[in-house]
Amino acid sequence: MDLFSEITEDRWKCGLTDGPCQTTGLDLLVTDPAHGAVAQFFGVVRNHNDGLAAAAVDYDVHPELASKALAELCRDICAEYPVRLVIFHSRGFVRVGEASVVIAASSAHRRDALGAVSDAIDQLKVRVPIWKKEIGLDDEQRWLDGHSLREE
Amino acid sequence: MITVSVQCLGVFRELGDDFDVDVESRSVLAIRNAVSAHLIKLNRPDLDRVLRRSIFAEGDELLKDHIAIEGSTVSLLPPVAGG
Repeated sequence: MDLFSEITEDRWKCGLTDGPCQTTGLDLLVTDPAHGAVAQFFGVVRNHNDGLAAAAVDYDVHPELASKALAELCRDICAEYPVRLVIFHSRGFVRVGEASVVIAASSAHRRDALGAVSDAIDQLKVRVPIWKKEIGLDDEQRWLDGHSLREE
Repeated sequence: MITVSVQCLGVFRELGDDFDVDVESRSVLAIRNAVSAHLIKLNRPDLDRVLRRSIFAEGDELLKDHIAIEGSTVSLLPPVAGG
């Protein structure tokens, strides 16, 4: 992985990478001899969206804000769950079948690890300043709508 | 009059990496109104609609509309769509 931003604290690590995320070895980053459960989530670019064929997604990122938001997200998840946690997200071009986001959590028992990973991806989608431009098979490009950070 | 540079992100990159607006105060609301006028002038009512759901940032701080910026550069963040 070509990391251009990484923040690490005692129980968590997060980062941003140019291009696709590496999916192998993620579990090793959350290894803990007291933990009997490891849960992982890979967000992978699929070949269709809203009925249209897709070839890739080009991710735009605000590096400072995204790093800060990912770190806050990790702190919040670790405050709620007794886990070790790692989250990486892509910037730039990610092709169909490649991972754009990878999350792993370990805990003493499975429920905390599973809950942490599920909450992490749910909250990442609505909190972290990252945007998707979908690239079609015919090279047509369209920005996808998302969640507003503006308080109404 | 103050010239503020607006850094484009997400769908606003259709306008380029950045553009300038002239404002009479450094308040985010003044900048928002100036950007809205800029988008209408460019005949981009679609982006003006996105602007209503967008937020400004200075450095790594998200800005509410009543805040005044310290410098002369802001980022314009449309609704986020990571994952």
